[in-house]
Amino acid sequence: MAGAAALGLAFGSLGGSAKAAETPKKGGTLRLGMEGGSASDSLDPRTYADSIPISYGYQIFNGLVELDADGNAKGELLESWETKPGATEWIFNVRKGITFHSGKTLDADDIIYSLNLHRGETKSAAKDLLSAISDIKKLSANQIQITLSSGNADLPYNLTDYHMLVVPNGFTDFSKPDGTGAYALESFEPGVRVLTKNTGHYWKPNSAWFDSIELKYIPDTSSRTQALISGQIDAANRLDPKTVSFVQKSPKVSVLQTKGTGNRFAFVALCDTDPFKSNDLRMALKYGIDRQKIVDTVYKGYASIGNDTTIGPANKYYAPNNPPHTYDPDKAASLWKKAGSPAIELQVSEGAFSGATDAGILYQEAMKKAGINLNVKRVSGDGYWDNVWLKAPFCAVYWGGRPTVDLQLSQTFISTANWNDTHWREPAFDKIITAARVELDEAKRKQMYAEAQNMIADTGGMVCFAVGDYLDGYSKKVQGTAPHPRYDMCDQKVAEKAWFS
Amino acid sequence: MIRLILMRIGLGLLTLFVVSAVIFLLTQILPGDVASSVLGQNATPENLAAFRHELGLDQPALSRYLTWLWGVLHGDFGVALTNKRDIIQELAPRFRNTLFLAGYAALLALPISVGFGILAAVREGRLTDRVANILALICISMPEFFVGYLLILNFSVNHEYFPSLATVSSDTPFGERVWAVTLPAITMTLLVTAHMLRMTRNSVLAIMSTPYVEMAFLKGLTRGRVVTRHALPNAASPIISVIALNLAYLVVGVVVVENVFTYPGVGQYMIDAVTKRDVPVIEACGIVFASVFITLNTLADVLAIVLNPRLRHPR
Repeated sequence: MAGAAALGLAFGSLGGSAKAAETPKKGGTLRLGMEGGSASDSLDPRTYADSIPISYGYQIFNGLVELDADGNAKGELLESWETKPGATEWIFNVRKGITFHSGKTLDADDIIYSLNLHRGETKSAAKDLLSAISDIKKLSANQIQITLSSGNADLPYNLTDYHMLVVPNGFTDFSKPDGTGAYALESFEPGVRVLTKNTGHYWKPNSAWFDSIELKYIPDTSSRTQALISGQIDAANRLDPKTVSFVQKSPKVSVLQTKGTGNRFAFVALCDTDPFKSNDLRMALKYGIDRQKIVDTVYKGYASIGNDTTIGPANKYYAPNNPPHTYDPDKAASLWKKAGSPAIELQVSEGAFSGATDAGILYQEAMKKAGINLNVKRVSGDGYWDNVWLKAPFCAVYWGGRPTVDLQLSQTFISTANWNDTHWREPAFDKIITAARVELDEAKRKQMYAEAQNMIADTGGMVCFAVGDYLDGYSKKVQGTAPHPRYDMCDQKVAEKAWFS
Repeated sequence: MIRLILMRIGLGLLTLFVVSAVIFLLTQILPGDVASSVLGQNATPENLAAFRHELGLDQPALSRYLTWLWGVLHGDFGVALTNKRDIIQELAPRFRNTLFLAGYAALLALPISVGFGILAAVREGRLTDRVANILALICISMPEFFVGYLLILNFSVNHEYFPSLATVSSDTPFGERVWAVTLPAITMTLLVTAHMLRMTRNSVLAIMSTPYVEMAFLKGLTRGRVVTRHALPNAASPIISVIALNLAYLVVGVVVVENVFTYPGVGQYMIDAVTKRDVPVIEACGIVFASVFITLNTLADVLAIVLNPRLRHPR
């Protein structure tokens, strides 16, 4: 496992949560109130796309590999692994003595079946993560071999994806899910609530303290916050930065802030479309935005300044630009004139991310000071990803965190990437990423990723101005919660990790 | 009479058919489809194609509509495209919730609006009339989410009388259900009262200026008796149609209130379906809503005939 990317993180905690000193105890029903789901949610892991399905997915099922509190890959149902130099051949050991809710014992066939749900002809969003796999072979009842078409030292990190949950071999009826998770499904009313009950025999030691979990869909932020303060729920996700100071005043509630791992908020320009073919113009866009003002105004300080790539400042491979792209109206003006003073239109929508419109308007104001007229056009959030993103020459986008730098960069910036939303194609960059993927020397790897990030920041089409914080709210009686390098709500595993005092 | 009701039912069914066709057409005009909406930012050409093939979205639109219509004619509304759940089974409890909330709100709103409407007519121009009018106008002028939040602030934050979350499920006992739904019911009552109140008042007053009412006054009857015994029966038919419209609104127009109080009604279900382009679910919700409108309007017409002797015995 040498060379695996560990994410170095800086955490901040508000209101004195994350107390781990108390001894955990069993019992109680944890009532979660969450945003990030709808009446069309399904139990089939291939369709998961938002926080609520990820949360109930992790209650009922287990993943293959998980991320620990430091962001390192840690065995889950795949207990351990080894690879040869070149990182194309991998041996994974399947954890022994695990049973599904149905009573079946976990073996290699279940793992292979569950992986294959995301390979070949599939609707799964995780397909790209596994596309390098050329073959999966069963070596014994508790061992599998995975062969890659090109080396990847980070394969275990790809397997931490939340879509890759383990079901028994041949399982098809997802309305009656059968997993190895701590809780078994009691009732599923998508859009309303999901009830699960502790099976009483979970394999992970020191976890799953609650008797049952009641997950309520509360899409309205004010209602969710209100329900938390009045004690109708024990935990809420995605608190609003604008009102979080009121929440902190409540004596019954604590706020948990995870810094620098939330969504990356950006405006993206298509590098192969006029007028954005000119790198001078692209640099003008980067110098003409007042990042600090957006962070302070739109996110009330609950965000970090972005660095025009999707790598967050908390990442240990993060390489800031030298000099940094700080707001400089004069420089933006001269670059814009050099590019021929073209007209620019930015398309924004709250459907891209919450705050996109406000950020767009602040951007327009900042550009005005440089004498540049940025036309900000508000478009419908309905169908945004289908109609605007990847199509409009300059528009708003957010990117979620990925477990490794490789995944983070290659999903968005490699020439052949499906989601290359800047149409930035740089063969030298592709070469660095491919080489870094199999580079096991940590110092060299760091150097390579720094070079890759600087290339994007200096020539790419992304204006990534902020990286958001996650803000969770918990009742004071909920113990054992802590920030996690990946997702909010304890990596969406609060049901497994927390307990009532 | 029977013939009229049968004709209305026939026309209603025809309307439902037209509604279903229009909804289908509109969903086709909307950009994107269920596959691209579900996959969102995660869509790739390959998984989109696999998803569409699985759902039969690669079939022509007309044949998809006819297949759906054939199913509905056999009482089968099918399953949701997004999560394969039976639409009737998903819709039924939500529709019951919607009716429960609408019924609760109607129980509060009808006596208040008709009662105060009549009172305002009896005391035309006096303090009661003015106060009732002004209060009703204030309520209808505020957006419903604002009224909802005000109620939450006063009755569940500052004083914890009622819960701010109205999330009920099938196993919620009746008493608890009434308690949970009180704030949303009051919000909706405030919304619909003004319209009905003013309509009642004005219809009664319009009749008051007719010669036969003048005759009643000349007989020496009190104002209250003239209004209730002579004016009101003849004013009934416009009042009933306004009530029918408002009752229908209580059923179909509550999306915002549902959202503020997190109430699991049909509105939120339909919004989710529209966002995900889940056509069979949109169709089912649309048909339910259209049926409510048609039923209430038919009922209003029938009642207007029953209550009015001139319409009851046409010459």
